[in-house]
Amino acid sequence: MQLGYLPQFPPALTQPILFGALLAAGLLAGEAVRRYASLPRITGYVLAGIVLGPSVSGLLGPDALEVARVLIDLSIGLIVFELGFRFDLAWLKRNRWLFVAALAESTFCFLAIHFALMYLGFQALHAASAAAIGTATSPAVVMLVAHDQRAEGQITERMLLFTAVNSIFAYVALTLLLPFLRMEHTTSWAGAALHPVYLLIGSVLVGFIACVLMLGLARWLGKREDRQFVLLVALVVLTVGVARALNLSVMVALVVLGMLARNLDRRHVLMPLRAGHGGQLFFVILFVLTGTSLEFDGLWSAGLAVAVFIVMRFAGKAAAIYAFSRATGLRRRGAGLLSVALLPMSGLAVVMLHDAQSLVPGLRQELAAVVLASIAILELVGPVATQFALRRAGETRPEPRDG
Amino acid sequence: MAEPVVDERQFRRSEHSSIGIELELQLVRARDFDLARDAADLIERLEKRALSGAVKPEITEGMIELNSSVHDRYLALLEELRVMRDMVVEEAGILNLYVSGGGSHPFHDWTERRIYPSERFNALFERYGFLAKQFTVFGQHAHVGCKDGDEAVYLVHMLTRYVPHFIALSAASPYYQGEDTSFQSSRLTAVSAFPLAGHMPFVVDWSEFLEYYETMRGFGIVKSMKDFYWDVRPKPEYGTIEIRVFDTPLTVERAAQLAAYAQVLAAYHVAERPHAPARAVYLVNAYNRFEACRYGFAGEMIEPYAARKTRIGDDILETIGVLRPHAERLGAEQALTELAEVVRHGRSDADRLRAFREKTGALEDVVRESAETWAGGGTRKG
Repeated sequence: MQLGYLPQFPPALTQPILFGALLAAGLLAGEAVRRYASLPRITGYVLAGIVLGPSVSGLLGPDALEVARVLIDLSIGLIVFELGFRFDLAWLKRNRWLFVAALAESTFCFLAIHFALMYLGFQALHAASAAAIGTATSPAVVMLVAHDQRAEGQITERMLLFTAVNSIFAYVALTLLLPFLRMEHTTSWAGAALHPVYLLIGSVLVGFIACVLMLGLARWLGKREDRQFVLLVALVVLTVGVARALNLSVMVALVVLGMLARNLDRRHVLMPLRAGHGGQLFFVILFVLTGTSLEFDGLWSAGLAVAVFIVMRFAGKAAAIYAFSRATGLRRRGAGLLSVALLPMSGLAVVMLHDAQSLVPGLRQELAAVVLASIAILELVGPVATQFALRRAGETRPEPRDG
Repeated sequence: MAEPVVDERQFRRSEHSSIGIELELQLVRARDFDLARDAADLIERLEKRALSGAVKPEITEGMIELNSSVHDRYLALLEELRVMRDMVVEEAGILNLYVSGGGSHPFHDWTERRIYPSERFNALFERYGFLAKQFTVFGQHAHVGCKDGDEAVYLVHMLTRYVPHFIALSAASPYYQGEDTSFQSSRLTAVSAFPLAGHMPFVVDWSEFLEYYETMRGFGIVKSMKDFYWDVRPKPEYGTIEIRVFDTPLTVERAAQLAAYAQVLAAYHVAERPHAPARAVYLVNAYNRFEACRYGFAGEMIEPYAARKTRIGDDILETIGVLRPHAERLGAEQALTELAEVVRHGRSDADRLRAFREKTGALEDVVRESAETWAGGGTRKG
C-alpha cells in the first residue's frame, strides 16, 4: 500500500504552527491573569513566554520565529515612534521645569545605581554601563499599559515623557561609555572614539530624513487617517530596516522620527495617532517573545546585587520626581505614583546589554547576570506597578465587564 | 454672584441691570485635540491663583466652568473675563492642555466621557444615564439683576421673545460627534432631552410662580429651582433672571457682548414696559427656536406681538436700533455695534468654525484653531 501522501509523524513544527500557537498561548495567558488575578495582560504574555522559552519548556528558542520578525520590528517601531510623537516641545517651553525634572530623573537614577554597584565592588566603568542600561524605563510596557487601560491624564503623560527622556539618556550614556570600555581591549583609540559619533549622529540623521519624507508625503496625501496610517507603517518599517542595515540605533532613529514629526509639523499636516485593534496583536507577539528571552540565573548567584540594583533604581527615580514635583505642577501624591509607574524594564535594556557585551567581551558575566535578572523581575513586576499607579491616579478607564 | 439665601422662595434684591456670566469651557489635550480628562488637576491649580470670579467643575472631566463677578458695566465684565481667560490658558498650558470656547466639541465620543468625581454629578448620572454624558456641551449663562420677583417674572416673559436672537448670535456648535449637523447650534438638542427643559409656565407674578413651584415640589417632581432647565428662568437666590440658551462663544469678547445685549434688553423692558406678557410668545417659541438653531440669522421667526414673519437677522438689527438709547445709558454701545456687524456680515461663530474646517478638512484643526482663537492669538507661545 502506497501511503506516501501521509506526512511524517509527528509532523514538523513549522513556523506558522509555532506562530499561531504562540499567539493563542499569549492571548489566553493574558486574559487569564486579567480575569483571575486582576493583573495586566502583559504579565500573562510574559509568563506564557517564560513557559514556552528555554528557561522552562524550551519550545521556543530566541530566534525561533523568523515569520514574526517584521511584525516585531513594526510593533517596537510603532511604540517607540509614538513615544517620540508624544514628546511635545511646546509643552516643555510652557513648563520648563518639566524638562529639568525629566533630566534629573535620568541622572539621579543613573548615579544611584552607579554608586551602589561600585559599593558592591564592581569596577567603575562596568558599573556605569549597567547603570546606564538601568536608567531606561521600558517604552513598550508603559505604552501598552496606557493603551490597555485607556489611561489619560497628567501622570500618564508625564510617565510617557519621562520614559522618552530616560530611554534616550540611557542610550546616549551607554554609547558615550563605549570607547572607554573598548580601550581595555583595543589599540585603535581613534577608531573607538569615533564609534559613538557615528552611532549618535547617524541615528539622528536617519530619523531626520524619515521625518522630512513623512511630512512631505503626508502633505501630499492630505489629512486622511487611513492613508496616513499606511504611510506611517511604511516609514517606520523603513527606518527600522535602514537603521539596522547601517548598524545604527533603531530606538534613537525612531524616537527622533517621532519627536521631529510632532515638533516640525508647522503646517499641521499629520493626523493624531489613534491606537487600532491591530495593536493588541503586536503586543502579544512582542511580550511572549520577550518572555522567552528572560534569564533568571543572576537571581540565584547574586540575589543581593539584584535587589540593590532594583531598589536604588527606584530610589533614584523617586528622589528626582519628588524634588521637582511642585515646580512641574504635579498634583499632591502624584510624585509617588509617577515613580511607581516608571518601574518597568524590558526588551530595550536586553538589547542594549547584548550590544554592549558584543562590543566589550570584558563586561563581566556576573554584572550582566545581575542586570538580566533585574530585567526579568521588573518585566513581571513592572506592568503591575504601572497599572497600579495609573489606576490609583484615577486615570484609567474600567473595562466593560465580561464573563 | 453673592451668597445664596437659604429660602429659595425669597427673591433676593439685586442692583438693577447688573450682569454676570457663567462660561462652560472645553479642556482639550494637545496631543490629539480630543477632550481631556484633567479638569480636577486644572481646578486644583487655579484655586491657588487669585481669581476674581470662580472656577468650578462640570458634569464630565473635560469641562470647566468660569464664573464672573457681578458688574454694572459691560467693559468691566470684559476686563475681568480677559484676566481670567489668560490665567486659565496659562495654567492649562502647564498641564499641556488647551482651552476652547464653542458650544460642542466637534468630534469627541460621548461614550468615552467620564463623570467628574463628585456626589452631585454621580447622582445626576445615576438619574439621567447617558443623557448626563451626552450633556458634555458648553453653554454660556448670563444673569441680569432684578429688583424683585415680579420684575423677574415679567422679564422672563419679555426675554423669551428674544430666545432666537440669543441662539443665532451665539451659535457655535455646528459639529457634533464628528459630523456636520447642518445646524448653527446643535447644542440645544442635548438640553431638550431633559424632562424639565423648556420654558417657564405662563404665570403673571412672583406669588403665582411660587404657587406653581410649590405644586411641583408637592408632586415630588422638583426638589429645588435648580431642577428647572428652562431657557430663561428666575434665579431668586442671586436676584437675577438667567438666560441659558447661549452657546459658549469662541472669544471672551463675544461672551461679554452677549451679556451686554441681555442687559440692555432687560433695561429697555423695565424702563419702557413696551408689552404686557402674552401667551403668543410661547406659541411661537418652539418654532422660532428651531429656526434659529438650524439657520441662525437666515432663519425666520414669528414676531408674536405683531404676528408677522421676519428674518431673525433683520429682527436683531431692528431691535438693536430700538435699544440704542439704553445702550448709551449703560455704556454698551460698542457691544451692540459689534453684534450688529456680525449680523450684517452673516458671520457667526458657527460659520467661523466651518471656515476653520475648510482649510484642511480635519476636525482636529477646527479644535486647534478654536483654541488659538480663545487664547486670543499672541497670548499662547509655542
